[in-house]
Amino acid sequence: MLEISDLSAGYDGVPALRSINFRVGPQEHVAILGPNGAGKTTLLKTISGTVEADSGSIRFDGQDLLPQSPHKRVEAGIVHVPQGRMIFASMTVADNLRLGSHRRFARDRHDERRELVLDIFPALADMLGRDGGALSGGQQQMLAVARGVMACPRLLMLDEPSMGLAPRAADDIFEGIARLLKSETTAMIVVEQRAHEALEVCDRAYVLESGEVALEATNRELLTDERLAAAYLGSEI
Amino acid sequence: MVEFLQFLVPGILIGGVYALLASGLGLIFGVMRVVNFAQADFMMLAMYLSWALFAGGFGLDPFLAVPAVFVVFLLLGMAVHWLFIRFVIGRRENHDAQVILTIGLGLIFQNLILIKYSSEPRVVAPSYANAGDFIGDIFISRVRLYAFLLSVLVAALLFVFLNRSRTGRAIRAASENWEAATYMGIDIDRTNRIAFGVGVALTAVGGSALVTFQSITPFVGFRFVVVMFAAVVLGGLGSVSGAFVGGVLIGIIQSVSQVWTSAAVKNVWVFALFLLILYVRPNGLFGKVQRAI
Repeated sequence: MLEISDLSAGYDGVPALRSINFRVGPQEHVAILGPNGAGKTTLLKTISGTVEADSGSIRFDGQDLLPQSPHKRVEAGIVHVPQGRMIFASMTVADNLRLGSHRRFARDRHDERRELVLDIFPALADMLGRDGGALSGGQQQMLAVARGVMACPRLLMLDEPSMGLAPRAADDIFEGIARLLKSETTAMIVVEQRAHEALEVCDRAYVLESGEVALEATNRELLTDERLAAAYLGSEI
Repeated sequence: MVEFLQFLVPGILIGGVYALLASGLGLIFGVMRVVNFAQADFMMLAMYLSWALFAGGFGLDPFLAVPAVFVVFLLLGMAVHWLFIRFVIGRRENHDAQVILTIGLGLIFQNLILIKYSSEPRVVAPSYANAGDFIGDIFISRVRLYAFLLSVLVAALLFVFLNRSRTGRAIRAASENWEAATYMGIDIDRTNRIAFGVGVALTAVGGSALVTFQSITPFVGFRFVVVMFAAVVLGGLGSVSGAFVGGVLIGIIQSVSQVWTSAAVKNVWVFALFLLILYVRPNGLFGKVQRAI
């Protein structure tokens, strides 16, 4: 579904990704792990188009993605839930969700999608009229994921959905994601510091280090091979 | 008291027009962080269009010409964005280019009009130009009342557009966080183009509200540019509703100060208030406090 080969990208000439090869199959769930500054967020941004690639290729359903502008990529089904949530603080929860279904395809399905996301994150149902900025961190993160789901993703990309959250709130997010994956057939990429939680909802993982793919393994390999776990997942396992 | 009201009421009326002028500038800054120094010259162009429609044989009443002015300047603004502005949006190092570009556009507009129509002041005087009504002891000029009502109507339409329409919501989203808006599938370039067009058209309509009591020259923009910028900063950069309140406030201060001091120094009071408010609230009255979530 998503095929990335030999991709390099960076900011103002400073390379952040070097010759990345990466792939996500249809309906596959892939985790990206690795330390801060490894290029995880840059990789997602290069896929969604807010960072330009320097070389290499990204194909989605066989189509070359790089010449397409970011909003065209959303239309194709690539939906990015960014790090730091980036909800629209001055708008209500309902308006945030409505913006999630901005593109025509999703707009026509707004009502059924909203039902779906409120099933996944029931806590949001009581807050539809409240401003996004008035929500707690955990609720904002639920809203950010829900807003992404509104867009009818075929490839959902979650960047550190548990960042800055208390363990209990992070659990709520991952439970919601698990509920989502039960009812939706979307493919998914999750960037996470909490490797264990991420692997629970994923089939496969890539470990990035200094902008390069250091390891590609199935979650079974990562979770059962002590050497791999010790080397790449640190003390978290 | 009557004397005070006799200054307060016109202050509110002209303040409504300032508010409309400023809201266009505020909308453009809020959405694409471009300080459009040509904004007052778009207003000047709109005043000439109103004058041409009135005096040029059509005899079109300047208030009835407003829809035409809006459409013309919406399209002109979108064209200027497409031709020039979109190339200087975004990166920090583009800020110098934005300043030079928009000041340059303003100079070109002024001089084109100077070549075409000379610097002779033009006046739009419909039959009711000097009419007015007494409410109690307060005299209210009819054209100023119409200008105020027009501004309130346009403000209401703008509010509905920004809050209820899909494009309006996209504009608000892009103004709050362009990156997040991008991830929603919002076409930022298109959103900016529309916001620039609407912003220019709002100020243009403000210009046509002025023509019945403000003579028109190629350099009339200078008289209003300070007021517009002060209103936008007072209200809080990027806040359209703030720009509105800022505009009304400046109209009131300018007018009411004449109870005590000469009209020649009315802007001194504006700037005294301006400095005071920025001292107490550096982000303006309605400015968002910048913070990382």
